[in-house]
Amino acid sequence: MAGLKLVHLYKRYENSGKKKSIQNNYAVNDLNLECAQGEFLALLGPSGCGKTTTLRMTAGLEDITKGDIYIGDTRVNDLAPKDRHIGLAFEDYAMYPPMTVYENIAFNLRAKKVDKNEIDRRVREIAPLMQVEDILDTMPVKLSGGQKQRVNIARAIIRRPELLLMDEPLSHLDGKARQAMRVEIKRLINEIKCTTVYVTHDQLEAMSLADRIAIINFGVLQQVGTPAEVYDNPVNEFVASFIGEPPMNIMETKIIKKDGNFFFTFEGSDLNIHVPERYYSVIEDGFKCKMGVRPMDLLIGDENSKGTPERIATFENLGDERRIGIRVGNTLMMLITENERRYKSGDIIRLEVRGEKTHLFDLETGNRIREK
Amino acid sequence: MSRITLENIHKTFGKVKALDGVSIDVKDKEFFVLFGPAGAGKTTILNCIAGIAMPEEGVVKFDGEIINLVETAKRNVAMVFENYALYPQMTVYDNMASPLRSDLYRQNEDVIKERVYAAAKMMKMENLLERLPSQLSNGQKQRVAMGRALVRTPNVFLMDEPLAHLDAKLRNAMRTELKEMQANFGTTSIYVTHDFMEAMSLGDRIAIVNQGKIVQIGTPDDIYYLACNEFVAQLMGDPEINILSGLLRKNGDNYSFLSNGSEFVLPADAALMNKLAAYDGKSVDIGIRPQHVMYSFSKDAGYRDYQVYSYESIGNKSVIEAYPAGHSGRGDTHTHVRMIAPNGLTIKIDQLIYIDFKLDHTMFFDGSSKEFIGCYNEAGIRALSAGKEEA
Repeated sequence: MAGLKLVHLYKRYENSGKKKSIQNNYAVNDLNLECAQGEFLALLGPSGCGKTTTLRMTAGLEDITKGDIYIGDTRVNDLAPKDRHIGLAFEDYAMYPPMTVYENIAFNLRAKKVDKNEIDRRVREIAPLMQVEDILDTMPVKLSGGQKQRVNIARAIIRRPELLLMDEPLSHLDGKARQAMRVEIKRLINEIKCTTVYVTHDQLEAMSLADRIAIINFGVLQQVGTPAEVYDNPVNEFVASFIGEPPMNIMETKIIKKDGNFFFTFEGSDLNIHVPERYYSVIEDGFKCKMGVRPMDLLIGDENSKGTPERIATFENLGDERRIGIRVGNTLMMLITENERRYKSGDIIRLEVRGEKTHLFDLETGNRIREK
Repeated sequence: MSRITLENIHKTFGKVKALDGVSIDVKDKEFFVLFGPAGAGKTTILNCIAGIAMPEEGVVKFDGEIINLVETAKRNVAMVFENYALYPQMTVYDNMASPLRSDLYRQNEDVIKERVYAAAKMMKMENLLERLPSQLSNGQKQRVAMGRALVRTPNVFLMDEPLAHLDAKLRNAMRTELKEMQANFGTTSIYVTHDFMEAMSLGDRIAIVNQGKIVQIGTPDDIYYLACNEFVAQLMGDPEINILSGLLRKNGDNYSFLSNGSEFVLPADAALMNKLAAYDGKSVDIGIRPQHVMYSFSKDAGYRDYQVYSYESIGNKSVIEAYPAGHSGRGDTHTHVRMIAPNGLTIKIDQLIYIDFKLDHTMFFDGSSKEFIGCYNEAGIRALSAGKEEA
């Protein structure tokens, strides 16, 4: 087992000049990233952001335009995929249909001419771990999606790879199977303690599985951090809105000064939010920026509340929780509550905001404006 | 403007019984949700209403009038499909205008313009009217598909999983927007979904469909709190409700629930205890939602020993799944208990955790038939649900 290090990694596709959407025509743009030995790192971003390209370069399935990749202390740029000691599990299972599950799992070891008894020992060792003991003699065509993915992962880890690479392994599965499989993967990785890089576009998957998350957009690394760090301390508007469901409420605001205090004001709304004092050194009267606050950090005040009275635009009772939407200009600002009270649209609530949980973002760059 | 009634509808495809005696009664202007797993028969019900499928038995009525033999085109229904079905060569405006340019519903261009703009305003896409479908995002395409249904004044809107194509985030955002527009629809709507959040949020009433039958019809609160059986209880809510199997035994004036070697003394509730009397000494299941399971990291009185199976964030909160201490974590998943916890706890897999249940929030089910027996504060919940229905 080994760590992974990406140093000034670039990828440019030959025909990418035609695609205007990719900034600077680089699919991966100066990526520096480290995954410690035994760590579970998620590469997270929207489709086309370069996360799969990064994974494929690491696996050796894609040429590197510029930069270096190290697995452990070895620079692997020029090594063939088979010599990189990696395990791969992709979205489509790519099993050999005429072979049983057992033969599929054993295939890689047979190709490497490992001793027959040793192969059998290892297949039987890994089968209970992946809960495939009962289906070892089954043909792939008879398996459910979840079972196929289990076999797929078993096949990847039986080689005892230095590094396990997974690309959206759950995206074929539906809601509940996906959730169950997520738990299984987490327990498995915890057990075999393998260094893992996991590509996904689903922030929930990244948040629940990874030790650290690397968020990528347009080939550029935005932020690396633990799930809590990227959730509580996003570096820019992109990360703030990508992580979390429902996403952070982000609205354009003009800060005005009244009686020595600063307030966030919003066009087309009478909403007034006290600006936390920690921001006073970086703002001034008339300052324009974006304000972000998570739906969990908006509260319904009681009758003595000093919060702004706001009209409910939408009330959704979801059973486990209730969501309230309030129109602030063009934005529907969402609030989540576990309060059992049933409201209806048109009701007025006193809206309170956890000021300490607000974030400021630059209007143009989208970068976090931090207190000094 | 229509009341839609289905009476005892049967429909088979070859040997497969798609609908098996379906009866529903959708009130005028109601937003009615058909909810169930894939293959339950939801879409077939919609197709019977639209006239796309012909039931072998049973009647379909619009405002009391039997329309089984009326052609699809003359039923005046507007459908929205999962896969938008937009004309790629037409602008958004022309796509939306297309129903009003058909032979059957032809209007003059002034009326069309007025209706298209009104629908575009409701769907918040006035700025998209000149674009072609290829220049739209998936969310925008679905908006156009809905807008196209809104330009007419049909008897009923039929919507078949209109948000299912969208990714989780967009789906949630669109659902909330749909909720906001709903008040302006003013038309009977029947909405098919397999997403419980859409069903809960949008439905005035929900019909649970499974294996070609209607399992339960009720308000979202009815379905969530008074699920008619375990299947329905498990459909609503994420993470799924915990179901524990055990035995009921008389304990003084009240009852105890014995499960997995533990005894739970049930709190008093006269109405519920009356219902449970018939189950003394018999097997019952209790259903308890994850938000009503309490955990502790120290051994508090009444808490039971469990071990952590998994701890994972589901966004703004996390879920702990635990198994009875000493058992193997694998296999026996029906003894697992899921509970809600905040993000960012330091929890190791397989570590000890202590658990107790808020028993006064449990539902009781018959141990063999899995049918609903009763729950705590049932009268209060029925009042809450009825109040919502009037409003």
